[in-house]
Amino acid sequence: MKKIVVVIFLILLPINTSGDQWKFFEHRYSYKLEDVLDADKFVKKKGYWEGYKKGQLVGYVFISKDWTEKLVGFSGKHMETLVGLDVKGNITGVKLLFHSEPIVLIGLREENYQRFLKQYPGKSIMQPLSVGKEISMDAITGATVTAVVQNAIILGSARKVASEAGLIKAERKVEKKLSQRYQSFTWEDLLKIGAVKNIRVSSKDLGIEGAEPYLDLYFGLLNPPSIGKNLLGESLYKDVVSSLKDEETALFIVARGSGSFKGSGFARGGVFDRFNLEQGNRVYVFRDKDYRILTELKAQGSPQIKEGGIFIIRDTEFNPAEEFKFNLLLPFRPTVAKKEFRSFSTYYRLPEDFIE
Amino acid sequence: MDKKIDRRSFLKFLGIAGAASAAAVLSKDILSEKKDVVSKAEAKENGQQHEVKPGELDSYYGFWSGGHSGEVRVLGIPSMRELKRIPVFNIDVGTGWGITNESKKLLRGRYVGDTHHVHGSYKNGTYDGKYLFVNDKANNRVARIRIDYMEVDAIVDVPNIQGMHGLFPQRHPKTEWIVTNGEFQVPVPNDPKKPPKEYYGVHAIIDAERMSVVCQVLVEENLDLAATDYKGKYSMATSYNAEQGITVSEMLAWDNDYLLVFNWERIKDALKKGNYKVINGVKVIDGRRGRSDIVLRIPVPKNPHGVNVSPDGKYAVCSGKVAPVCTVVDLDKVDLAFAGKIKPEECIVAQPEIGLGPLHTTFDGRGNAITSVFIDSTNVKWSLERAVKGDKKPIIDVLDVHYQVGHIMASMAETKEADGKWLVSLNKFSKDRFLNVGPLKNECEQLVDISGEKMKLVHEGATYIEPHDCIIVRRDIIERNVKDRVDMFEHPLAVTKSGVERKGNHVIVKLTANAPVYGLQEVRVKKGEKVTVIVTNNDEISDLAHGFCLSDYNINFVVAPFQTKSVTFVANKPGVFWAYCTNFCHALHLEMRMRFIVEA
Repeated sequence: MKKIVVVIFLILLPINTSGDQWKFFEHRYSYKLEDVLDADKFVKKKGYWEGYKKGQLVGYVFISKDWTEKLVGFSGKHMETLVGLDVKGNITGVKLLFHSEPIVLIGLREENYQRFLKQYPGKSIMQPLSVGKEISMDAITGATVTAVVQNAIILGSARKVASEAGLIKAERKVEKKLSQRYQSFTWEDLLKIGAVKNIRVSSKDLGIEGAEPYLDLYFGLLNPPSIGKNLLGESLYKDVVSSLKDEETALFIVARGSGSFKGSGFARGGVFDRFNLEQGNRVYVFRDKDYRILTELKAQGSPQIKEGGIFIIRDTEFNPAEEFKFNLLLPFRPTVAKKEFRSFSTYYRLPEDFIE
Repeated sequence: MDKKIDRRSFLKFLGIAGAASAAAVLSKDILSEKKDVVSKAEAKENGQQHEVKPGELDSYYGFWSGGHSGEVRVLGIPSMRELKRIPVFNIDVGTGWGITNESKKLLRGRYVGDTHHVHGSYKNGTYDGKYLFVNDKANNRVARIRIDYMEVDAIVDVPNIQGMHGLFPQRHPKTEWIVTNGEFQVPVPNDPKKPPKEYYGVHAIIDAERMSVVCQVLVEENLDLAATDYKGKYSMATSYNAEQGITVSEMLAWDNDYLLVFNWERIKDALKKGNYKVINGVKVIDGRRGRSDIVLRIPVPKNPHGVNVSPDGKYAVCSGKVAPVCTVVDLDKVDLAFAGKIKPEECIVAQPEIGLGPLHTTFDGRGNAITSVFIDSTNVKWSLERAVKGDKKPIIDVLDVHYQVGHIMASMAETKEADGKWLVSLNKFSKDRFLNVGPLKNECEQLVDISGEKMKLVHEGATYIEPHDCIIVRRDIIERNVKDRVDMFEHPLAVTKSGVERKGNHVIVKLTANAPVYGLQEVRVKKGEKVTVIVTNNDEISDLAHGFCLSDYNINFVVAPFQTKSVTFVANKPGVFWAYCTNFCHALHLEMRMRFIVEA
């Protein structure tokens, strides 16, 4: 209310409000739909265009902002991307429309970003497509947050459009009722029944010297009391569950070893660039606001951990009762001066007993 | 151990003896010190792990007063790492506390403070993690710190009171009242013509939510330390100058001073019946001897200092300061004394001999009390139960500390959840414990593992001017309440679009701060114009704070994510002045700057 009062009594003299101080950080490009799909006619649909060539449907074009606006990069802003798909789900073209990723800070140029995007045409969205595996980071080495989020934007939007257009099966809306029953489990029990999954990366696998393992990572969903309460203890579990809004889901990740799943990307850009989840057509990336630190596990027989976190999956489209994929993108140094990345994936499905 | 009162030690304690005698007392301590420090390996073997490795977190929050630095500090325990300084009654040129309009509105031009006692708000006898309260002995104020942001959100001036020292919140059923004590007797109202016999001590009651003075109880005694019971019935204060003396000798005249107990039911009754006088806008109830049934005076030897209530709520323990005893008062008997069924002195159920110069008592939750003993420079662990059963020397263990301890506090000891894990000994002198830093040295704070039968000294650290007291709070109680700002508009002037507005001679500059730019690149004002700069940090990322320093204009402050602060000044120097970000924010932090052009 006070703000309004101030405005009324003052003479408004805005000067220099737009400014060009952002010039170096904001990049906007003009576009035509033909840039990403070879077609002679485009028909506007809800959130995308159908592309026709000589009267024949040849594919689809869309702007990522209409589908995955919540995915934001290092800059805190969405990287607006124009994407073309053929009718089989192959990417026909990708064009950046707007971004303010500060890649200039790590000595990269706009061309590097464009070169990174050149990898996409020809790739199928029906297949796994993750950074560090199918998509190389070579062009923008160091800009992991940008790469991971950009990939999530392209893949996430494309799969949504493909589903909307009937190219891939629409996701079944399944009830996601989780059991509220509590049963006491030890750490070993939780591993055995698959409520906690493990990714173990040895230094030997990476071809580096050093203590084993390089990273021994465990993760799992926390919502079912039989998992969450056993792992976090009564008080923290209650605290976490009561902080969840709507149908948010809580995930824990802990690790030991000399590697780190947290990294430091979240400290600067707020985005965790070393892991994400995939479920159906969606990719889930975590930000610092989704995170709280976890320093110890309470279940009997739990390992001592070096780092850990509780991560909230904010998007209520995530279905904890359904299978999802955990992607890990791990940097390592074969030599002191060289940094490489290796990615790992593991599927996770809550044990049947925890679903009603 | 010699339990007789050593006259020379007392004189030294009072600051009367010369330097030579002080040195003699200390050299004895230096010789006996080394064996108390256990190695890390040993600590692991026979006690708790006190080392907190990189990446690990502490298990307790410690909230420290800052003495005449005027601030409050947050430490992690057991690492003893300083996690934060909260400016309270001081100017802090780092954060801009005392420089911004928002903080000036709370401080009202007074930048000297002396914080002694920090306590948390309570629910059912334990901390609820909502607020901290702290006194200002220098300017007689109480500040409230909201724990979610760990920032001061209210300051109340307390009239009719001087040397406002002890402070304690209501513990049951929840903190609605806070009590504070006036250590320096003064005329009420403060009339310089009054003789010392008409100087009074004041027990003030403050509404914790509204941060306003509810009422005051006026007594002849001075009042220093404060406590409340676990039933919401009583507050307490020790008095060392029941004599109403104005010199040290006069204050030492009587063998007994008092523990004063204030009856809250009767205070409420007096307020209801209008049995008070309004002085300087505050309801003052007369609690002087023979004129009121509100105050119970339990005679306590001699010039007592601390009063602390055991976690089971049964006993209040007062320390003798210049008598080698602690006095244990049974709070159930206080009910009987107020009912006139027994005499005040019959509330005392034990008076064990603890050591020379007992000051403050804390508890391990297993029936033991631990008392700081100033002149002996020790922490003394003793059994309350054995004392109450009549044991005159119920001592279990004595630990040398370095040097001359003031307050001590055990983990959760001021709650019914006292857990007997750690104890902090706030020693007033460091002497030779650290590398020599010249004539003005830091204090020495020592961490003691109290989980076993014997106390173990495990860590010590140097501390800047000059914490008096602390509380040690379980991590989970605080952690669940601490948060980032989510609503930018909790400040009504939050800026999301930068611009300049003019109202006559007053220029209002609205600035957003987003790493690495301010919302404007330049601002032009004319010499002599009044300028208000409002800065809002529009970055949402945790921990990404920005500074705003205006060169040559003596202005600096920091805005945390989504925070808004403002300053007002007169542009009295013409020229080009760069405003720049002082708080590291970005790889291009140094480039985050803009010009203020003051036209002649």
